[in-house]
Amino acid sequence: MDELNELVSVIENTYVRKAREEGQKIVGYACLSTPREIFDAAGIFPYRIKALSNTETEMADAHLSRFNCGFCRSCLQLGLDGTYDFLDGLVETNGCDHLRGMFENWQYVTPRSFFHYLRVPHLTDEDSMEWFRGELEMLVEALEKHFDVIINEENLQASIKTQDQITEKLRHIYESRWEKEIKVPGSEIMALTVAEGSMPPADYSRLLDEYLEVIRKRKPLKTRARIFMGGAATDEVELITALEELGGIMVADSFCFGGRLFRRKSSADDTLLRLVEMYLNNLLCPRMFMDYESRKSFIKDMIQKSGAEGAVLFHNKFCDLHGIENVQIRLDLEKEGMPVLLLEKEYGAEADIGRLKTRVQAFLERLKR
Amino acid sequence: MENTKMLPNEGLFDRVYGLFEILKKLPPQLSEDELEGLLKVLPPDSANSMQALLKPSIQQASLTFLSMLTTALEETRNAKKNGKKVILVPFNFPPEIVHAFDNLAPITTEVLTTLGVVALEGQGERYWEYAMGLGLPDHLCSANTIDLGSTLTGIDFDPDAIISGCVGSCDVNSKTHEFVSALLGLPQIPLEKPTDDTARGFEFFKKNYYKMISQLEKLAGEELKEENLRVVAEKANRCTELYYDIWEMKKQVPCPVPGIFSLFVCASRFSMWGRDEAIRTLEDCLQVAIRNYESEEYRDRGEVARVVWIYLSYYFDFVNFYDWMENKRISNMGDALQLAFPEPLDLSTRESILDGMIKSAWNNVMTRQMGAYSMSAQWVEDIIHVIKEFDVNGAIYCGHHSCKQTWSIFSIARSEVLKRTGVPTLGLQGDSWMKNMTPIGVIQEEIEQFVNNVVIKKRGRRRRKKS
Repeated sequence: MDELNELVSVIENTYVRKAREEGQKIVGYACLSTPREIFDAAGIFPYRIKALSNTETEMADAHLSRFNCGFCRSCLQLGLDGTYDFLDGLVETNGCDHLRGMFENWQYVTPRSFFHYLRVPHLTDEDSMEWFRGELEMLVEALEKHFDVIINEENLQASIKTQDQITEKLRHIYESRWEKEIKVPGSEIMALTVAEGSMPPADYSRLLDEYLEVIRKRKPLKTRARIFMGGAATDEVELITALEELGGIMVADSFCFGGRLFRRKSSADDTLLRLVEMYLNNLLCPRMFMDYESRKSFIKDMIQKSGAEGAVLFHNKFCDLHGIENVQIRLDLEKEGMPVLLLEKEYGAEADIGRLKTRVQAFLERLKR
Repeated sequence: MENTKMLPNEGLFDRVYGLFEILKKLPPQLSEDELEGLLKVLPPDSANSMQALLKPSIQQASLTFLSMLTTALEETRNAKKNGKKVILVPFNFPPEIVHAFDNLAPITTEVLTTLGVVALEGQGERYWEYAMGLGLPDHLCSANTIDLGSTLTGIDFDPDAIISGCVGSCDVNSKTHEFVSALLGLPQIPLEKPTDDTARGFEFFKKNYYKMISQLEKLAGEELKEENLRVVAEKANRCTELYYDIWEMKKQVPCPVPGIFSLFVCASRFSMWGRDEAIRTLEDCLQVAIRNYESEEYRDRGEVARVVWIYLSYYFDFVNFYDWMENKRISNMGDALQLAFPEPLDLSTRESILDGMIKSAWNNVMTRQMGAYSMSAQWVEDIIHVIKEFDVNGAIYCGHHSCKQTWSIFSIARSEVLKRTGVPTLGLQGDSWMKNMTPIGVIQEEIEQFVNNVVIKKRGRRRRKKS
């Protein structure tokens, strides 16, 4: 657990330091649509950019504006203040308008010698899948050329296998909350999913094994209500911890640092096509168009399987994608009798937690708990 | 929600249409007395707009412009009766392809919002409030949300399908349209532009465009006919010629093209490009500009600054924006909505016409800049182009709070523009369609301070340095 605590509170963690000492290259990426397997196959440590509730944004605010989401501003701050200096390169994705701005400013102010733009389509039709496949080929080529590495079928397959094992372990832990007695709080699950992008895949797989042992001996938690949470891009473990202290346990979620992380599936034989299907077809992100039904089904399925009694949907102030999507999801869930609470929040703002707790407390009372 | 409930005929479209029915009855030339009389019977917000639009110096172009919009509204209104389907399009989607269908009529979300803001008392805020009442966040774009808020009430006109032309270039626009499409059960036709400026990107976009045509053909129940396409393309070419004629006129000092004409040109581009109505509007704009250019009185008034709006400007108070700038002798060189760079369509074959239309869509405003590989790089290139073309000495970013993409790279744009042209940029904050966000008086004060203390002084320093 100490290891997990370090991973969700320190950006340059033990694994990063170890990789630096051993001369391993580390490349930063931000979006869930970036296949970690490709980096792993090249022996590169894929590090998912995060802010871990950092609220200091004065350097970033000189570049992004106050009308941009706090999560991106916080990440940019860490990029500009030197926290992310250990990264040997950056991979941009067009996840959303804020994220694009974050990467453009990062690269404008402190250019990296390796900067690659992975252009992810917004649709999942045949042409878009083909496009994304081409993008992955270009990513492979760029990594090979810049870092003088070889990414072949063999090492890619091996990485996919490791990632599949991780997915299964994570799924097992995640779904353990769906039993009658809950032993793992949602905040710990979020800590685990946040940690995924902070360490090399093989180490993460080992961490999951150890964690499985720990929770086996756990006693059930006192639970006031089973809650589904979803929405914004957030890695704020403290926020979930603070809200769970009220007794409503997060039994499932649709966060991109969370439940969306291991929904990847594909039966394609072709290796790159497999990654395309896993990362584009199952992205479940509101940035995707003509795909709302998949996202709705995913959420409804999670709610049904987890036995959630209510749903809390967050969006970071100025996040249009989640801000709009949450209303749509709310209307659809409420139609089916599921109580829903919409919460707009500032990323990482401790001052905001009191207000959010009051709203969640009232929501739990509404659930008659 | 009870407070925002609306009665039949209280939707934005219906109310705007009602007002335009009255405007249609105006004589081709309005005397000053007649104008004064008209302004007295109109509610204050509408009177403000009409005062700016119908002032004698630009009346000729304004009446043609209003007539063009009346036609667009009538075609939407009567679509069902005439066996046509209405396609709601965003401003960055060139509508000429829809005009080429016998059974389809396009109407543009942002044009409707602007008409609501310009023509209605209360400026469409009740529709914004309706959308907010659904729980939508207050950081959405008023340009979409005001009209779509009205559509969501279910009492206004209902489109038959929505083209989502902002996929890849504006999250809030595309997502708001998707929301409306889902809630009202309307077919959505996405047109994605990949953030790749190479031939590979263009080929992907072309495929997407052809898929969109197939979907439109299905909706219309007809094939896209070459003869229709050709008629629209010929007229689009005439529009393009006039667009560049007006562009050329803007290069004159003092600028003889009234600031409000940038709105007329954009509204033509966004709604009736490829139609006679747009040609007539642009022709009249050009005529007025030429008349100004030839007038000694106009030339003698001079100008204190030439200012360009690097993205949007403000559209809720014509008198205190366009007229005020004119009275202060600040030439308003238009906003980034003019950065569509239309090109003449090659009329040789059906394919060549379509290729040209696809290129127009690819290069259309916002798609071109924010849908580029690098938002900041393309935007900066285009701003610098305009600054050089029009010999601009001050740039202003209006800071519409919903433009998250431009806000996210504004600092890059400001510093690059200054570095590469020496032109300073003022960053404002204010909603382009809602007066409550930043009062127009505050905006005026900031522009005036900027022009007097930065632009004019900087120009003076440059002149002294040169001499």
